[in-house]
Amino acid sequence: MNFDLDTDQRDAAAGAKDFFAGQASPADARRALDGSPVAPGRAALAEVGFLGITVPESAGGAGAGVLDLAVVAEQAGAVLAGPSLVTAARAAVLLADHPDLLAALADGSRGFAVLDGPVGGSAPSLDARDADTFLALDGGALVVGEGEVTSGAPIDATRGLGSVRLTSSRVLVEDAGALWARARQVGAVVLAAEDLGAAGRAVQMGVDYAQMRTAFGRKIGSYQAVKHSLVDAWVGVEQLRSLVWWAAWAADAAPGELPLAASAAKAFAAETLERAAETVIQVHGGVGFTWEHDAHLYWRRAKVDRLLLGDEAEHLDAVAALVLDGALTR
Amino acid sequence: MDFEDTPEEAEYRAHVRALLEEHSAELVHMDTGEEGAAEGPEQELALRRTQRVLAEAGLVGVAWAREHGGRAGTLAQQSIVHQELARARVPGLINHIGLGMCAPTVIAHGTPAQHEKYLQRLLRADDVWCQLFSEPASGSDLAALRTTAVREGDGWVVNGQKVWTTLAHVADFGILLTRTDPAKPKHAGLTMFVVDMHAPGVEVRPLKQMGGQSNFNEVFFTDVHIPDTERLGEPGEGWRVALTTLLNERVAVGGGGTDLGLSVESLARLAAERVPGLSPERQVLARQALGRAAVAALANRYTGYRRYTAISQGGLPGPEASAGKLAGTASAKLIADLGVRLQGDDAVFLSGADDRWQRTMATLPGLAIAGGTDEVLRNIVGERVLGLPPEPREDKHRPFNEKAAAGPGTGRAAEPANTARTDAPGAMA
Ligand SMILES: Cc1cc2nc3c(=O)[nH]c(=O)nc-3n(C[C@H](O)[C@H](O)[C@H](O)COP(=O)(O)OP(=O)(O)OC[C@H]3O[C@@H](n4cnc5c(N)ncnc54)[C@H](O)[C@@H]3O)c2cc1C
Repeated sequence: MNFDLDTDQRDAAAGAKDFFAGQASPADARRALDGSPVAPGRAALAEVGFLGITVPESAGGAGAGVLDLAVVAEQAGAVLAGPSLVTAARAAVLLADHPDLLAALADGSRGFAVLDGPVGGSAPSLDARDADTFLALDGGALVVGEGEVTSGAPIDATRGLGSVRLTSSRVLVEDAGALWARARQVGAVVLAAEDLGAAGRAVQMGVDYAQMRTAFGRKIGSYQAVKHSLVDAWVGVEQLRSLVWWAAWAADAAPGELPLAASAAKAFAAETLERAAETVIQVHGGVGFTWEHDAHLYWRRAKVDRLLLGDEAEHLDAVAALVLDGALTR
Repeated sequence: MDFEDTPEEAEYRAHVRALLEEHSAELVHMDTGEEGAAEGPEQELALRRTQRVLAEAGLVGVAWAREHGGRAGTLAQQSIVHQELARARVPGLINHIGLGMCAPTVIAHGTPAQHEKYLQRLLRADDVWCQLFSEPASGSDLAALRTTAVREGDGWVVNGQKVWTTLAHVADFGILLTRTDPAKPKHAGLTMFVVDMHAPGVEVRPLKQMGGQSNFNEVFFTDVHIPDTERLGEPGEGWRVALTTLLNERVAVGGGGTDLGLSVESLARLAAERVPGLSPERQVLARQALGRAAVAALANRYTGYRRYTAISQGGLPGPEASAGKLAGTASAKLIADLGVRLQGDDAVFLSGADDRWQRTMATLPGLAIAGGTDEVLRNIVGERVLGLPPEPREDKHRPFNEKAAAGPGTGRAAEPANTARTDAPGAMA
């Protein structure tokens, strides 16, 4: 057994960290709330190759695995980058037999969004606002088409959420139930990976502040109420990292374990990011409640992501169903 | 990244499985989450025999050096043995404290003569060991301990009291932390010994735990003579020696990601039996609780795998293991809680058709205390891993026998601030 990233994956993570540091930030996420475009945006992500990580080389991608994508997604999550790599991951699974569309995904010439819910009016779906090409499940078939997007005032503008009514569509794959399910699970893993990055960064912000801020003549981090809540949030992040890596590995190497691992990761991610984001605000006191401070941008991400691709209750139930069916005891 | 056995690991696993089948009749089997508890002389003998049989089959101390009686195997092999023992429903080894905490301490700080004398017998449970650290006035604040050892001739004379000593009632030897120089600051005046639990002046009084078991004890030392050859490390170096024990304790208790208490697999089997018979509303709740418990257990298990990979690549067990114990305790509570609730009417009794659950439930509060309380572990992670500023530790540099200025109205020495278990892993990490 070996449960660690390999050198290439570490290098990829370091490279992604550098890339995102220059291309996206919580400040961009704040500006997006006022209508600025999401950063780094589709073109930049395509150019650096991140939209095609799991796209085969024959279609212009890197032909790498979900784990390779997950380590990049963690770095994207840390700076609240958009559009989400979840969309790229999910679309790459759905379009496996459609090289033209795959190529358009990888090079960013089309903006994809994957729709959950009915095609006559989808559930709010990731990155729909800036998309031009929609993938959806219609009566068991995978369809692609154009659509009309409606949206509300965003809690987290980097997610580009919108409901879509398809205005045209053609069938790509008949009988796509299993394909759709796998794509959604891979999407859940990548979402959990982005949440891992966001949660880790939020905890780090809290730790940094607790080391520097003084009250009653002591650094606030020396007070256990502060210290222990940061520790609990950090322990959550480290536990989440294990689930994310396991789930991403399963997507590549042990598809039978993916349903359990993906739901476990997604359920745990929801709770972990939410706790980290609430903790970072609390640790900062009043300044943490201001528009100018970055804390609320992580909080916004938490409040939205926990509901995307199935909420915690849905994924806990999925885990329970698998466990009752013998997933752990076979 | 790869979770499958390598061909060599698969071969080793098959070998272990075959050995366990071959010796099945000589081993204790039980389906509880409890460690081999040694309740009553018969069970004690059976548990000692179990460990001896396993040792003779080469399944104890797998990763130890050959010179210490081990097999010079890999950590992967060690963990395969753990998994296969669990699968064969062999309970935790009676000498788990000896193996997990005492032996690493003896190996690191003992003389060749001590290695020779103790390790092989410890592996076979010919001798059972205990850890004599905590005292009535020093648990978390371990370095505040008061048991004294005074030099006399070719040895030392020990007086004092230890408490909460797991397995002392069956132990043959213990590692004993004492104060040898009260004029030094509290960490500096300590010395560690190996003590013969059958020596004159050692008196063990069992304590009854909240769940009714008697697994830990008070131990009184009255003029107990310990030869100087049984010292572990230099006089005054006891704290450094104790750190070895505490680091290994954190890994032995929960740091490896194994389920503490009953396993999530036992819960899965129970739930598969019971959940379908519940009302639809209760099924929804039970499934949420099952999902939550399983996710917590899996998160902890895979975190243990990561830690274990790091250690097998040459890393030291560090303060991160404390996080594993925190998470493991939380997950054990989720597992036991649902298990008990699925017992229906039996859940209000400590007995019943499947009372492992209620009995395990009654051991879990102790899990959040033993080997470092949850609070102390959070201090360790906060300070040693996250780098947060330390707790105030007013007594750290003061000579131990010099009382702090009495606070207004207290009329007695200020309570020593914690240091001991909180300081533990950092000094090595
Ligand atoms: C089942 C069991 C088995 C055990 N086996 C052994 C054994 O074999 N050998 C052995 O030597 N000991 C053993 N112990 C003892 C164990 O190590 C101590 O109980 C533990 O370290 C706590 O010490 P204490 O009981 O003195 O509690 P205290 O240290 O008095 O703690 C009381 C409360 O104060 C809190 N507290 C203390 N200091 C701090 C701090 N700095 N910050 C925040 N909160 C703090 C604690 O978290 C706890 O909630 C065992 C205990 C149990 C429950």
